[in-house]
Amino acid sequence: MFRSATGVVTIDAAQDPRSRFRRPIRSGPVPWMLPAIVVLGLFYLYPVLDVLRLSFTDATLIGDHENYTFASIANTIGSSRLPGVLLATLIFVGGSIVGQQIFGLILALIVIRGETRGLLGTTLLRTTALVAWVVPGIAGGIVWQMLFSEAPFGAINSLLRLLHMSPVAWLSNPAMAPWSAVIANIWRGTAFSMVVMYAARKGIDPELYEAAEVDGASSLQRLLYVTLPMLRPAILVNMILITIQTMNTFDAIISLTGGGPGLATEVISLYTFNIVFRNYDLAGGSVMSVLMLMISLTLAVIYAGFLPREEQS
Amino acid sequence: MSARRGSRLGDAASYLFMLVSFAFFASPLLWLLSLALRDRREIYLGVARFIPKHPTLDNFVNVLTNGAFPTYLWNGLKLASLSAAGVLIVALPAAYAFSRFDFRTKGLWMLALLSFQMISPLVIMVPLYRYMSRLGLLDTHFGAVAVYVALGCPLACWLLKGSIDTIPRALDEAAMMDGCSRFSLFWRIILPLAVPGVASVFIISVIAGWSQFLVPFLLLTRTDLMPIAVGIFTFQGLESSTSTQLLAAACLISVLPAIVVFLLLQRLILSAMTVGAVKG
Repeated sequence: MFRSATGVVTIDAAQDPRSRFRRPIRSGPVPWMLPAIVVLGLFYLYPVLDVLRLSFTDATLIGDHENYTFASIANTIGSSRLPGVLLATLIFVGGSIVGQQIFGLILALIVIRGETRGLLGTTLLRTTALVAWVVPGIAGGIVWQMLFSEAPFGAINSLLRLLHMSPVAWLSNPAMAPWSAVIANIWRGTAFSMVVMYAARKGIDPELYEAAEVDGASSLQRLLYVTLPMLRPAILVNMILITIQTMNTFDAIISLTGGGPGLATEVISLYTFNIVFRNYDLAGGSVMSVLMLMISLTLAVIYAGFLPREEQS
Repeated sequence: MSARRGSRLGDAASYLFMLVSFAFFASPLLWLLSLALRDRREIYLGVARFIPKHPTLDNFVNVLTNGAFPTYLWNGLKLASLSAAGVLIVALPAAYAFSRFDFRTKGLWMLALLSFQMISPLVIMVPLYRYMSRLGLLDTHFGAVAVYVALGCPLACWLLKGSIDTIPRALDEAAMMDGCSRFSLFWRIILPLAVPGVASVFIISVIAGWSQFLVPFLLLTRTDLMPIAVGIFTFQGLESSTSTQLLAAACLISVLPAIVVFLLLQRLILSAMTVGAVKG
């Protein structure tokens, strides 16, 4: 039976090669997608819906009782700690994405220049940046704590002392700590931007550069009027991706500062974690989770706007 | 002539930038290595003793023989590889469907996957913790692996779809004409041809599982079940400045497998990543 169906299709195929595939598929794609649908439904969709529901309750992590109320939302949004958390998040995320984007772009352009001109050490630099990227977040936080530390084994302060400069309170000064966290995060995250920028720059048609050269454009002009405009979509997409990655960062910051000193580096993910798993306030944590979701969703919608139209192949 | 001098100048500037960036990326890990090779007294000597006078492997021996570290490492490896296998089992058929079936809602599904990818693991852990506890899945590796698989699935689907897309459809057609069923087509033709892509997704998932912290931190409270990432965090909480060299050694041991695997398979991993990045 299946054979005969295939036979019919083969004749069809002579006129329209695309219809060939529609015919023998009696079962659609759904059975193939079923494992993924089940797993994602159970572990993503259901929790997300539940977080929405829980934010309208007074649920706690340990109790079984919950009543529906708007109090959790009002309390969480009205909390006097929230503005500080949002500010710490803004510094951490904003500083990281600006730093990673600019540094990653320059790195990618330098690596490409190094490759075309055969400069020594280009591959070494690229690989080293990528190695930092593979380091697990927890380990990255511990490493940077050892670098920033004011104890004798703190590398940066020990170096400063060696150069007869005064040491810096990298992690114990509340005004400095968020920026120290940004530096550590740039160290770990820049390679991702570099890879994306590298691929995008390689995708630019070389003829554009030839044309620019014929028109007598200097290398600065080629950068400003050819490279940057052509990279614009990739830069926007990359910015959104790293914004979400940074906002979701948890491990690298808990092992670096633990949110301190005081609350100086208590970013939104750490704050949410503390509400739920330290204060057992499931409802309040759900409200914060919804807030995080809303920020991510807004960014995802912007991101979707930049995606190339679905290729119909 | 001046253009030549310009590019000489450019080369010099490039070298300067490369040197500074290299120092920035390499020095933290070199510092970790330096601390891990010192004995207790040399820890207090700071940068001046960047290369230890009496380098010792005692710290590594200490970490690997005493305490729970061997268990942490084994648990980390077990969770990472089981979850990577789980990711493939779940994501491969879906990726095949996305690559080979034409259906109207495909773009929507792919977009849904992408938006799942953007949800913080913390957000799903908030309600999941209570359910895992009710199902008795707290303090089980099974529960942790299930969550790892879900977290790794969206990206794996995207990357695997990109990899299967590169296999010409003409092969499917030929096989179908010979009466090959959908499943044996997938199993006997697509899968063997997709091995490079499948392998890189497996490796990416292993590295991601190895680095996973939040999920095991919340779900696994028993020391004998903890993976390495949670282990070194616990160790950091216990350490004092007299044991920094041990923490450095433990940290290095946890970082090294990921780095080595990555270096060995760099090309494979990057090509899979850029296929994903360029396509979407």
